[in-house]
Amino acid sequence: MTVPEDFKTRLKIAKSKIKKDISDDKEKRGSFMGNAFKLGTELVAAVIVGTIIGFIFDSWFDTKPWLIIIFFFLGAAAGMLNVIRAANRMQKEK
Amino acid sequence: MANNPMQQFTVHKIGPEIKIAGVDLSFTNASLFMVISASIILLFLFFGSKEKKIIPDKLQLIAELFYTFVAKMISDTAGSKAKPYFPFIFCLFMFVLFCNMVGMLPYSFTVTSHIIVTLIMALFIFVAVTIIGFIKHGFKYFSIFVPSGVPAVLLPLITIIEIISYLSRPVSLSVRLFANMMAGHTMLKVFGGFVVSLGILGGWLPLSFSVALTGLEILVAFLQAYVFAILTCIYLNDALNLHH
Repeated sequence: MTVPEDFKTRLKIAKSKIKKDISDDKEKRGSFMGNAFKLGTELVAAVIVGTIIGFIFDSWFDTKPWLIIIFFFLGAAAGMLNVIRAANRMQKEK
Repeated sequence: MANNPMQQFTVHKIGPEIKIAGVDLSFTNASLFMVISASIILLFLFFGSKEKKIIPDKLQLIAELFYTFVAKMISDTAGSKAKPYFPFIFCLFMFVLFCNMVGMLPYSFTVTSHIIVTLIMALFIFVAVTIIGFIKHGFKYFSIFVPSGVPAVLLPLITIIEIISYLSRPVSLSVRLFANMMAGHTMLKVFGGFVVSLGILGGWLPLSFSVALTGLEILVAFLQAYVFAILTCIYLNDALNLHH
């Protein structure tokens, strides 16, 4: 199949336009909002998981309130770790 | 009650009750809308890729747009090693996106607003990523829980925190999608209820809110599918390339 010369030049112009569009911040704004949605639950989920682990261990070892308290704080620490990691990743993407 | 904003989330059986070995496998409205979303994706991609033109028509253009979008997302976040997992992530992204979008239609049912659906997807990803990690690295994969450059005194504590952080992945993945979809649809219904109860005089303000919220919900539907897919890529990246 022969591609006419005129079409080739038009394709070149279109390709360079696409490159310009990608570097525009319009596309990036979407992923920023995605990041914002991500961070909130990241923090909460680790606290929930930590508390559940503490609750299960408590009923295993019969140490009623203590392990749930300890694992609550460990879960909070894990949540902060998650958020810090996500934030670092966001900075790297920039 | 038609005014109950949570009524839209009820699951009811369609057709006869099917019980296999004591497990209720009846066809429900949730299953119906999963089938609808899946068939829309299949039809759309089938007709989008049927005629492979050099200058694509609209349908082919949109199908190619989805393809390049997911391909770029995978290569950006997980690198070239994740290429074999493209079909899985593409399926996941399309399914979540179309379930969310079909749920935006009036009188439809939002499959992703049920935590059991999102949790099963998230658990599947979690188990799959863990298995991939162990296949690729063997017992060295445990080093994901032991960060380098930590003093020996703190190591047990950090390891426990890392394990909790790892286990929180499916929870955060599923709760995020479920909570966003459910909250959005409840809010839409509540504002819709205000329009009816305030009547023709006062109903215009909540109606305008409803219109704005519908736009926001479509954005959220897309963003949540995107976030779901990109987090899968990130977890896959952690499993494929240790310590990065």
